[in-house]
Formats: sequence, C-alpha cells, structure tokens
Amino acid sequence: MKRKMVKKLIALVSAGAMTMAMLAGCGSTSDGSTAETTAAADGDSIVVGVISPNTGNLATYGESVLNGINLAVEEINAAGGVLGKNISIISYDDKADSTEGANAFNRLAGEGACAIIGSVTSGVTASLAPLADESQIVMITPTATADTITESDNYVFRSCFKDSYQGKMAAKFAAEKLGVKKVAVLYASGDAYSAGVRESFDAACSEYGLEIVAEESSSSTDDTEFSSQLTNIAASGAEFLFAPYYYNAAGPYIIPQARAAGFEGVIMGADGFDGTTESMLDDKTIYNNCYYTNHYSPDDTSEVVQTFVTAYSGKYGAKPNALAALAYDCAYMVKDAIEKAGSTDRTAIRDAMSGMSFEGVTGKFVLDETGTPEKSVAVIEFKDGEAVWNCTLD
Amino acid sequence: MGTQISIFIQQIINGLKIGSVYALVALGYTMVYGIIKLINFAHGDFIMVGSYVLLYTIPIMVAGGLPAWMAVILAILACSAVGITVEKVAYKPVREKGTKMSALITAIAMSLFLENLAQTLFGASPKSLSTIFNFPNLEVGSTKLNGNTLLTIAIGVAMMIALQLFVKKTKMGKAMRAVSEDGEAAILMGINKNRTISITFAIGSALAAVASLMYCASYPQATPTLGSMLGLKAFIAAVLGGIGIIPGAMLGGIIIGLVESLTKAYIGTLTGGVITSAFSDAIVFGILIIVLIVKPAGILGKNVGEKV
Repeated sequence: MKRKMVKKLIALVSAGAMTMAMLAGCGSTSDGSTAETTAAADGDSIVVGVISPNTGNLATYGESVLNGINLAVEEINAAGGVLGKNISIISYDDKADSTEGANAFNRLAGEGACAIIGSVTSGVTASLAPLADESQIVMITPTATADTITESDNYVFRSCFKDSYQGKMAAKFAAEKLGVKKVAVLYASGDAYSAGVRESFDAACSEYGLEIVAEESSSSTDDTEFSSQLTNIAASGAEFLFAPYYYNAAGPYIIPQARAAGFEGVIMGADGFDGTTESMLDDKTIYNNCYYTNHYSPDDTSEVVQTFVTAYSGKYGAKPNALAALAYDCAYMVKDAIEKAGSTDRTAIRDAMSGMSFEGVTGKFVLDETGTPEKSVAVIEFKDGEAVWNCTLD
Repeated sequence: MGTQISIFIQQIINGLKIGSVYALVALGYTMVYGIIKLINFAHGDFIMVGSYVLLYTIPIMVAGGLPAWMAVILAILACSAVGITVEKVAYKPVREKGTKMSALITAIAMSLFLENLAQTLFGASPKSLSTIFNFPNLEVGSTKLNGNTLLTIAIGVAMMIALQLFVKKTKMGKAMRAVSEDGEAAILMGINKNRTISITFAIGSALAAVASLMYCASYPQATPTLGSMLGLKAFIAAVLGGIGIIPGAMLGGIIIGLVESLTKAYIGTLTGGVITSAFSDAIVFGILIIVLIVKPAGILGKNVGEKV
C-alpha cells in the first residue's frame, strides 16, 4: 500500500513537471490548448486519446472498451465526422497501473489529444484526475464508478453511474416493482464499495417507505460463512434482502446459504453480482428470485440498444458487455461536446460537456454538477442459472 | 420465545458447520507441531493445494462413473507430495542449520510462496467446484442440520481417534514420540529421525487434503488465498485446545466455530449495535491473546511432558 502511494506521488510529481515543461514550451502558461489546436490542424483530424488496461490481468476490460470506442468512431466518421473532420484515436495501455496511466496521459497531452477517454479502473482514474485538471484536458471515464472520482475536479466526467447510486435504484426497484415493505441488509463494513452502496440504500429506504427489519454485516467481502447473519435475517420476516457483494461471494456463499437458512424472499445486489452465473452451484434453481442492478443489458428490447448490439456483434462476433456499451457512449459524448463547442479548444469542450444531456445505449441522462450522470439502471434477474434482463429503471 | 430458542439452536448448528472444518484443519497443525515443534504456517496453503487438485480431478472422477469424493485420494497423494517436498527442500536445511525462529519464518515464506505460485498457475480469479456430496438436510422442527456438517464432525472424530491410536499404539507412533521428546537420543536408539519427520509431514498433509474435501463440500470455491484466513483461525483453534494435543485441536476448532457464529448472531443486539457482526474476526483473534495470557498451554494442556 505504502509503495503504491510513493509510486503515485512520483507519478504525480513527474507528470506535473512534464506538464509545466510542455506548457512553457508553448509560450503560454495558462492556455494549454495552443499545442493541441496546431497538432490537430496539422493532422487534419481530431485526435481523441484513449487510456485503458490492454495488457495484464484486466486486459479483457481494455479490449471491450476499445472495441466500443472504435465502433463509435467508425460510425461517426462514416457519417461525416465532427466539424468536417474525421476523429482519430490514439490508444495507450495503462496496464491497470497508476504510473503507466500517468505516462500515457502525458503522452496524449503532448500529442495533441483534445479529449481523453479513460481510464477503466477507479484506482487509475482517480490518480489521473488531478492531471486532467492541471493540463486542462477533458477526461471522461466509461467505467470508474467510485463515488469520489468526479468530485474534486473540473475536467473529469463519466458515462457510468456512481457506486452509491445503485443503492437508491435497488430501493426503488424493491418498492415500485416488487412492492415489498420489509427489507433486510447484509453488507461488508470493511469494503468501501459494499458499505457505500449500503449507505445509499438505507437512505433511500425511508424515501420509498421501506422498513429495514434487519441489518447485518461481515468484516470483508472475502468471507465464506454468512449463515449466522442470514439466519437472523430469515427470522426477521424480511421479504427482500439487499446484499451488495461481489460475484465471488454471492454465487457460492451468500445466495445458497440464505436459501439454506430458510430465506425465501428476493435477494438483490449491485453490479458486483455481474459474473455470478460463472460461480453458481450446480443447483441453479436456488438463484431464482435474485436480481442485480447493472449499467445496461444486451437483452434490453429498446431500439437503440438492439441497433448497437447488432452492429457490435457484426463487427466483433460477440455480444457487447456493459464496458463496451459505456465506452461507446463515451465516444458519442465527446463527439457531442466537440460539436457543441464548435472547436477543439480543450476548455471549450469542457464547458460544452459540463451539464450536457445525452441519450445513448446505456440510457438517457444529464450530467450533474460534478460530471456524473443520474441515469437509468438495468435490472438483471437470474432465471435457472441465466442472467436475464428484467426491466430498465429511470 | 419458542422461535428464539429455535434460532439459537440454528446458530449453534451454523457454528458447528464452520467449527468442524476448523477442527479438521487444526488436527494437521497440532500433529506436525507435536512431533517437530514447528508451527507449519503453510498448512492452510496445503488445503488450498488440495482444493485445486479437487477442482480438476472431480470432473474426471464423475466422467469415469465414480463418486466425486473419490477425488480426495488424488488430493491426498498430491498434498503429501507437496508436504514432503516442502519439508525436504525448505524446512530440513533450516532445521539442521538454524534456530526455531528461522524455521518459523521459513514456514511463513513457504505459505506466501505457495499462494503466489497458485496465483501464477491458476490465476487470481476464484473457480467454482461442483457439488461433492448430495445430502438432504436433517430437519427437526424449523431447524435444519446439513449433512455435510455431520459428516465433517464424524470424519474429524474418526481421524482424531485414529491419530491418537496411531501415535500411542504403533511402532511408528512410538518413533514419533521419541523424536518429539529428544531427537538426538532417538537417533541413538536407532530411529531414523529424518524418515520419521517426513512421515509426519506426509500424514499432516494428507489430513490437509481431507480437510480440503470437507471445506470444499461446504464452501465450493477455490482461490489462491483460501488457506490463509482458514489456516490462521485453525491455528488459533489448535492453540486454544492446546497445541500438540490431538483431542485439543478438535475441541478448539468446535469452540472457535461456535464463538464465531454466536458473536455474529448476537453481538449486535447485546451491545445495542455498537459492536456489529463484522467484529467476529476481531473477537476470534482476541481469544488467542487471552489464551496466551491466561493459559498458554491451552484448555487441555496440563501435562507438558507428554505432548504428542
């Protein structure tokens, strides 16, 4: 942990120094857009940078994100581009590492990117946020959901909802779609994601008239034994259990143990449940009546989603996942912002993106003052071991 | 009130479920400690090795028409091989040259090595195992007793008795006790010390393989780090019961499981929500500290001279 901090610090200091050098080179210390405008004009295309983990453990994330962006850019260019120019993508690998991410960011800033899409993980994105502010380049992340990401900066946006928003939507789903009254909560007090989502769920419960009849916790999301807590929950008379954990606990432990403890009600999680179908026990029927919120579902019957799914599977031969869909929307958000700004001036793009309203495959939304969308959420249901789209909540 | 009592009984059963697994793991710790006075911190990771062997061999067993639990035989062979290799390569040279402290540190190093090796070989993402036993629940009123739990306790008791008989009654067991009491004198009596220690490790690792079968029956997911927390808690169980004492491991495991379950279930209501169920690990580790202060030899640890 400490080493990571030191690495981060070195990255920040060196990045800061490089940015200063670059700005000084342009003969201007306050207007960072000089270098970029000339570079873009030279290439006769608008350069958009992408930072994603393309190698290493999370390489599949990077692949999905790049596929989504490339598809969107192809469509945009085929339809005539932006401001009469084509968009060209420069992509760099951050290996899911903050130092690599900072290097990639500075290279893109130097190569005249007018906006940057990235990064994918909350950790890397959080460490790049100060750089985006310093070099005054819009950075829009498709997938970094940590609550704090867009809070203390002016140039960072995202196309995904933040973690805690899912708690609110789960309460809404319980009250409005399922019509339950008594709910229980199980969460990991030592995990920022789980505790954050639980806090927003609890807050939303009073808003939607849900009564919390039992609240239990574990120390971490890596626990394997939840039977004691679940026995109490089963005895509390709750009809609905909210358990914001990851798939590795939900699939083999929480859901089977809840059923074994005699809890027959609805079990719901947040996007951490994505992947549960891979970690289910052999008896798939115990997972029926379980739901989770996600960014999007390829089974969504709306026309925008189906058009996107067809185009994506035609190009890459696989159904697009949530990461690809969010990245696809990011590329269109950048395009809209450039169009609205009427130039590739970095600050103008920021002003155009701030508070923008947008409609894409992951929903219709308006960016709030921090740069995070309040948007529709897809609710996925398990049916005999398959993850099936249930509804989309606005 | 009736429901309160049945919930309490259910919580006891929940405690037995995890406690019986701790007991099985603790037997392995205590066995090795009893002979060579080394706390084998890699024991939890032997269980991890066992679970990966089961992960890959259960489908083969099922495809061959055999029951899934037969895979444990391969797991025992693999774990024993790993156990003996670790002993020969890492512990033996250190034991001959170094102090007890360096042996202990080597054990921690082996634990980290095995975890990282597994992460490299199998990847960091968790992998699911198929069902091993298909027991119906034993239902009495509203309480449900899982068949896995009963079998785990039964295996634990059987192994405890078998180990006790082996150590007390057989020639090999006598050799083990001799090595445990005085290694140099044992050599003078014509006992092959190194062979005795190797066999001890083989048995300890075989116990780990059986423990991994019962662990995976209740918690069917293999990860490279599954042995670390499990190993630590089983170690506390062994210390609580009296490390080196075979029935003590069994007793300690069950007690730790019950304490964990009952704190998770009742600490929130008892303290008015100040301390929540998330504190159960802290309470379990707190027990270790109290035992070390009040009765370092453990619950059954009276007769230090006869530790086996």
